[in-house]
Amino acid sequence: MISEEKLQILTESAKYDVSCSSSGSKRKNEGGIGNGYAAGCCHSFTPDGRCISLLKILLSNDCIFRCKYCMSRADADVPRATATPEEICTLVMDFYKRNYIEGLFLSSAVVKSPDYAMEQLVRTVKLLRTEYGFHGYIHVKGIPHADPLLAREAAQYADRMSYNIELPSEASLKLLAPQKSKESLLLPMKQLQREALAFRAEKRRGYFLPAGQTTQMIVGASPEPDGQILRLTQSLYRANGLKRVYYSSYVPVVHDRLLPAVGAKPMREHRLYQADWLLRFYGFTAEEIVEDDGNLSLELDPKCAWALRNPQFFPVEVNRAPLEMLLRVPGIGARSAQKILSARRYARLGFADLQKMRVVLKRARHFLTADGKFFGTENPAALRGLLTAGEARENAVQLDLFRELEAARTARTGEL
Amino acid sequence: MIYFYDGTKQSFLTALLAAYSDGEAVLSSRSAQLGLGEQSVFVHADPVRAEKAEKRLLRYDPKCMEDLDLLLRSGADDRDKVALDYFRLIAARKCPVRAMLAEDAVAAAEDCIRRVQFEVHRFHGFVRFLESASGALYAPIAPDNDICDLLVPHFRARLPRFPFVIHDVKRKRAAVYDGEHTFLAPLDRAEVALSADEGAWQALWKKYYKSVNIPSRERLKQMRGYMPVRYWKFMPEKFGDLC
Ligand code: SF4
Repeated sequence: MISEEKLQILTESAKYDVSCSSSGSKRKNEGGIGNGYAAGCCHSFTPDGRCISLLKILLSNDCIFRCKYCMSRADADVPRATATPEEICTLVMDFYKRNYIEGLFLSSAVVKSPDYAMEQLVRTVKLLRTEYGFHGYIHVKGIPHADPLLAREAAQYADRMSYNIELPSEASLKLLAPQKSKESLLLPMKQLQREALAFRAEKRRGYFLPAGQTTQMIVGASPEPDGQILRLTQSLYRANGLKRVYYSSYVPVVHDRLLPAVGAKPMREHRLYQADWLLRFYGFTAEEIVEDDGNLSLELDPKCAWALRNPQFFPVEVNRAPLEMLLRVPGIGARSAQKILSARRYARLGFADLQKMRVVLKRARHFLTADGKFFGTENPAALRGLLTAGEARENAVQLDLFRELEAARTARTGEL
Repeated sequence: MIYFYDGTKQSFLTALLAAYSDGEAVLSSRSAQLGLGEQSVFVHADPVRAEKAEKRLLRYDPKCMEDLDLLLRSGADDRDKVALDYFRLIAARKCPVRAMLAEDAVAAAEDCIRRVQFEVHRFHGFVRFLESASGALYAPIAPDNDICDLLVPHFRARLPRFPFVIHDVKRKRAAVYDGEHTFLAPLDRAEVALSADEGAWQALWKKYYKSVNIPSRERLKQMRGYMPVRYWKFMPEKFGDLC
């Protein structure tokens, strides 16, 4: 059994990685314990409001690299620990059996060398799958500069892998993570994408990253504006086939003259998630959401901001508007849009009907008509004020039961 | 007229037939205070009439009995009224009404059903098993809705080799998987001898819970929204936070 002290060290160095989602895999139980739960599942929530789904842990925090922002970097004076693959395996099995976790998110510092660190990760997940008979969710972080064959081997056991870009530009990477390079992160992503496609095309037995790949960027440690971050995100979705891009507000755990002394505003991260959501589910492009060198508005959510910049599209009539347009109405989420599509087949919908259907109209009423009637305000200045004021309160509470369900499914995101 | 019934499907269907043409009907499965001058009747389940009603309703909407099952599991105060209104509407329209979300009765029923389903989803995560000395797993729960047996397929699929008991301590019943079969049984109190390592694993879990948190970003309100305090009682990671 791993010691409490080791567990603490290896968890505390892993906890700033925000990805925790356990969704996207339907791996079957094949006689041992565990299976995938396609929708993902939160097992607990910590006082910082984050979901615990996976056991998020490093195999080792003993690093030879010197990323400036990282508390495990080689020159940091911190307690070091390395777990054995067996310690991790029994921890996963016993936590899983008690339903504490949905699976494992295993990462490691670059201990000894990139190949050595990656070998240890592969050994652990292979052991877990083959010796311990574990079929629950496994997310493995890839080590940059490791042998491509090791990445491929890991992918045969993992449900998801991630190479974290961390810094959204090559210049920042050079400055803050000098031993990493754009290629050391993007090439393995491409390799795994190619291999996953081949695996599926050949309909081979077994699994090869059924939940795909993700990545993470730290926001606020380097000067890139939101526009640049979102364009990078968009290309990662389109060209690299990533399932998710996570954003992590920079938290200053390290003092360095190259790093800002204060953390990024949580609101900025929240806005990026909202914008990301618009890219993935609402048919928006990065170019529509924010200019190249611009930042997202902190006061207004990105959909509201877009709608205010594009008044020519509004108001839309709920009884006629196509789905794509309903989805562009501020305050109307995917679920409300579906409800509207379904209900309007039976009756002409007025505002009272929308209310009964629990479509939240506080923002939406300024952008739509129901049965020809408009209940919003058309004065742009007043409208902006109303939308900004509503926002502040909502962000404070944000706890409608069913939005919560969706939020719970996707860990920390900005559902609109 | 108030129609009391016992909360089961058969007695609901019998009561539905009795109350159908009574516009003032109130359905109740709980003991309620009668107002002055109010009349009441206790409806005994009548298997023959219930089956007739079920067949008719299934002709209108082949999936409506699944809705009824979930509605009758709801712990909401108004669930008897919600169920009555919903099934009245199906009977009146003679077709599935599920998608008619602008109807009050449908919106209310949908809401009620979603809450039950949402709680099932939540408990897939919030159930905490204790390992007993024999290796069987035991999880006490106190959910808002009557869902313990609905949780079984999920855990059975992922822990096929472990017998387990999910004990609804509020309703004093347990869903049991004995390694082969699943069944529901009345269970008042359970005495469980824990395995030798159970305490140590719980301690590790608490340590993990504490270590993975980022204290500088405290958002307690959000945490409590996602994981309401009423569920904490059986979650080891929250034991210290309940006074
Ligand atoms: S590689 Fe960089 S980010 Fe990763 S543990 Fe080492 S120093 Fe930290």
